Amino acid sequence: MIEIEVHNVCLGYGRETVLDGLTFRVRPGEMVGLIGPNGCGKSTIIRALSRVIPPRSGEILIDGKEITKIPRRELACLVGVVPQMPILPSAFTAFEVVLMGRNPHLGLFQYEGPRELDIAWRAMERTGTQSLARRRVGELSGGEIQCLLIARVLAQETKAILLDEPTANLDIGRQVEVLDLIRNLCLQSNLAVLAALHDLNLASQYCHRLILINNGRIHAEGTPWEVITPRNIEEVYGAGGCVYTHPVNGLPTVLLNAGNGKMAKTGGGTGGE
Amino acid sequence: MEIAAPTHLPQWRGRIYGIIGLIILLALVVVLAVSVGSVNIPFLTTSSILLSKVPLVGANPGWSGALETIILDIRLPRVILAGVVGAALATAGATYQGLFRNPLADPYLIGVAQGAALGAVIGFLLPTTWQGTGFGLIPLLAFAGALFSTAVVYNLARVGKTLPMTTLILAGVALGALLGSIVSYLIISSGEQMHGIIFWLMGSFSLSQWSEVRIVLPYVLVGAAVILLYARPLNIMQLDEEQAQQLGIDVERLKLILLAAATLITAAAVSFVGTIGFVGIITPHAVRLIWGADHRFLLPLSVLSGAIFLILADLLARTVLAPTEIPIGVITALCGAPFFLYLLRRRKKVIF
Repeated sequence: MIEIEVHNVCLGYGRETVLDGLTFRVRPGEMVGLIGPNGCGKSTIIRALSRVIPPRSGEILIDGKEITKIPRRELACLVGVVPQMPILPSAFTAFEVVLMGRNPHLGLFQYEGPRELDIAWRAMERTGTQSLARRRVGELSGGEIQCLLIARVLAQETKAILLDEPTANLDIGRQVEVLDLIRNLCLQSNLAVLAALHDLNLASQYCHRLILINNGRIHAEGTPWEVITPRNIEEVYGAGGCVYTHPVNGLPTVLLNAGNGKMAKTGGGTGGE
Repeated sequence: MEIAAPTHLPQWRGRIYGIIGLIILLALVVVLAVSVGSVNIPFLTTSSILLSKVPLVGANPGWSGALETIILDIRLPRVILAGVVGAALATAGATYQGLFRNPLADPYLIGVAQGAALGAVIGFLLPTTWQGTGFGLIPLLAFAGALFSTAVVYNLARVGKTLPMTTLILAGVALGALLGSIVSYLIISSGEQMHGIIFWLMGSFSLSQWSEVRIVLPYVLVGAAVILLYARPLNIMQLDEEQAQQLGIDVERLKLILLAAATLITAAAVSFVGTIGFVGIITPHAVRLIWGADHRFLLPLSVLSGAIFLILADLLARTVLAPTEIPIGVITALCGAPFFLYLLRRRKKVIF
């Protein structure tokens, strides 16, 4: 069980500042969604939390320890990442790519033994990718690769998982499957999960809390009902959506409204607040 | 290296058989190469003479002392040096290709060959005949030139604390062109030394002795051992640097270690025998075509294949037009290229 804490962090590349004054935390057993428009810095936050880019100021604590003081291999045993559209070596098989998730658990003089193979194999079973095991990654579809990357992060057996658009290439059936899997893991194994999501409805359905990023800072943070409000949607995304109540579970749902510049009013569905 | 036999990874078994097969083939090729020459010695006699030198194997010395001298003092050091150099170049080539994620990378990509060539040419042109212990001035200057040019490229390419691989390639190509033009100018103005220089550049094992084996072998053993240790991280570098970091790899440290090791073994190899081309770029690709891209197998298989390939190439170089020797660089490309093209056509699949 680990907690991710971000205190007043500033992030950027070169001279350009992307995000400033970031403060939030992700607790064990909690699934937090990062939402916001294109280019708002969702991926940058994930890079910072996996120590790919250092914070310019402020501090990022993983399990109470300053992130830059944790050796890379140790950090990779704590925090796993599912990247968005990554480069994968096309000549490697799907199984070999999943097995790479075991790397941080192995020393220089160790090779993958039956235990590692077994963990990777079970990770593929849970993500429904076992049938792809012997295929070369170059032959796989975007959705299959997405599932493979989730299998890899499962094989990594970390205490926190960061996901960058994990459902971007998936059909709706797979979207639900993958997010169900991640949320179950989060609840059962008490993982801290932070997912950058494009789809506000998926974010609302699956996340305990949402963080809405806009213009280099946190625009709103809280439960789905606190964040996905007509006002926030209009301020951040401009016009074009209406917030309704999901007829089954009562969570906020955003419906698009083509050609309509104004926001419609909340409610209207069954079981509103 | 201990690898479990998992039920769902049948390709591993083929690769392990590949390693065992190549070890046997290497032994056979060594005996063959030692047997053939101006005096042909029967295969069995050669085997017994070689085995008699292995501790704990008793063999009845039923052969002449002259035969033993030919085999142990003249042919064997040459064959072993060819094997060591072939292994070194193939391993370095596989490492550079993996590190740069570029199928066109070879051991000479970042200035090793041009630096070695410049050092060697200066050695040819200096009016001294200084002799170190067991080696002359030319290998020493070639080795220094190789390491110096790589160090310059490395420092030119560094951006802050990071080493972007594309910058490294560009710096290597640019400095290589600069040094290459100096070498060309020196060759043109070298007069009677020209033949010797060109012969050196194309590579030759004609002057190989045990003393050279003793100098080159430790570098290659240590360098190759370091590279083999980092086979799994090298696999993970095939993703991208960001993913490699997220999977626990200290990317900058890995690049430094692998570049240093690969450069050192390349420099040691070319210093004594010249800048032999083609082995370093083609051998790893041939291995990939047959056994796949996993570095845990690619690297040891490249060690063995590179050794076998260069021993055979040297055998041809000294026998085809005997007593004239052909530069080995001519043979490696002449025989290696068609074989590689055959493999490429036969297995039409993604290899890199």
